[in-house]
Amino acid sequence: MSIHTKTAVDSIKRSPFQAISAIFVLGLTFFVATMVAILVFATDKTLTYFETRPQIISFLKDEATPELISALQNKLSSNSRIKNVKYVSKVEALEIYKKATSDNPLLAELVSPSIFPASLEFSVTDLKLAEEVITDVKTEGIVADVGFTANIGGEKSLSDVVGRLKSISTYVRIGGITFVAILGASSFLVLLVIISMRMTTRKNEIEILSLIGATPAFIRSPIVLEAVIYSIIGVLSGWTLALILWLYASPSVISYFGQIPVIPRDPILFFFLFATILGVELLLGVIISLTGSLLAVSRSVKKAR
Amino acid sequence: MISFQNVTKNFGSINALEDITFEVKDGEFVFSILKLILHEILADSGKVLFDDVDLSELSVKDIPRLRQQMGIVFQDFKVLPERTVSENVEVALAVSDVPPDEWDKRVNHVLKLVGLDKRANLFPNQLSGGELQRVSLARALVINPKIILADEPTGNLDWKTAGGIMELLEKVNKEGKTIIMATHHEGIIKHAKHRTIKLDDGKIIKT
Repeated sequence: MSIHTKTAVDSIKRSPFQAISAIFVLGLTFFVATMVAILVFATDKTLTYFETRPQIISFLKDEATPELISALQNKLSSNSRIKNVKYVSKVEALEIYKKATSDNPLLAELVSPSIFPASLEFSVTDLKLAEEVITDVKTEGIVADVGFTANIGGEKSLSDVVGRLKSISTYVRIGGITFVAILGASSFLVLLVIISMRMTTRKNEIEILSLIGATPAFIRSPIVLEAVIYSIIGVLSGWTLALILWLYASPSVISYFGQIPVIPRDPILFFFLFATILGVELLLGVIISLTGSLLAVSRSVKKAR
Repeated sequence: MISFQNVTKNFGSINALEDITFEVKDGEFVFSILKLILHEILADSGKVLFDDVDLSELSVKDIPRLRQQMGIVFQDFKVLPERTVSENVEVALAVSDVPPDEWDKRVNHVLKLVGLDKRANLFPNQLSGGELQRVSLARALVINPKIILADEPTGNLDWKTAGGIMELLEKVNKEGKTIIMATHHEGIIKHAKHRTIKLDDGKIIKT
């Protein structure tokens, strides 16, 4: 253990309550930051889900040949108002049906692919264009009927759903970031106060070190290290608590939101998301501790000289 | 090594030094004041030279390097209360960027020299005044400084303990170290077998 690490650890041991309060405040900040980060991620994913899901389904007549279907698919793809055109065959339609009725397998056994129409699913670049696009597609000879997914959700239109989600997403971002910023500022101030108190109690030591030739960097090192230790423990504790909560809640959240991927279902992606948040939080924690401690130290070192 | 050239220092209306000129060569043992050498204060006029470098021209970032070349013994010991004897000595090595693998050997050597080798793991509050001054001296010696500045090293000690510290300083001086010591202790001045510069009202009255 280097002399600076030993000094920092000794200092923490000597004033455990100051250390606990610093770690507690930082832990709380980064717990909330993790929760907000996940909420922002979830609202973004929900928004993307609704924005990119097929909004219009054109059901095709049984007599539609693959050539005609391919020609219509190309025609739709080249339309500037239309995006994400996808062909769903009868067999795929049955699979979708089976998935949707997986809680009652008997329903799936009673049907064959022949009763499901093949379809071309697509989104529009702007939901305002949906109505005219539907009218145009209905005129195509191989199209039997056209469905608009917004009708399924009970909303007046899909744009209402997306609009509402966008508002929620904005509120989560602004509210969350404001809350985290306030907590971050509190953490910064708490660190500043605690490090200033440390500097006061170590005033004699700093004076002695300065007299025997210690550079300002030598004097600063253990104090800055102490602040970095607080922030790392704070980040790890806040992040771990949030991770445990999400691990506990994720099965219910996934089941409640069904198809909407609010959080990653794949464990690897789930942990990758949390690892990314941890990396960013560690960086922020170190920045907060470095600036807070350096600010507190600079005046004291100047005085000692 | 150190030379004062027409140095004057006033603290308001008090003349601390007035037109002081003297020189200290290697291996000498004299009494003087030290704050100017340590660059704790600057002269109002005149020059203080260390190895021919005018200290008043040193930049702030060069001060630590200057002090690392000097071993300092303080009247009030200035030991770090929350570190053991050996850790107090190690601090000087750490400050001077001595590689850690040399620390044990050097610390053991100086603690033996000052007679504290058996108290290496004690904390300052477990030591007597004389022992604390030995810690201060060990810390000054361990970096193998060019010069030792002793600021009233016996000021807080009884006569017998002060005698012990003086013997130690004599021993160090005989090994070739230059020592500059400031004292008000008339007894020590009378017994001194070394060059003495006596100041009164900021002026040299005996050299």
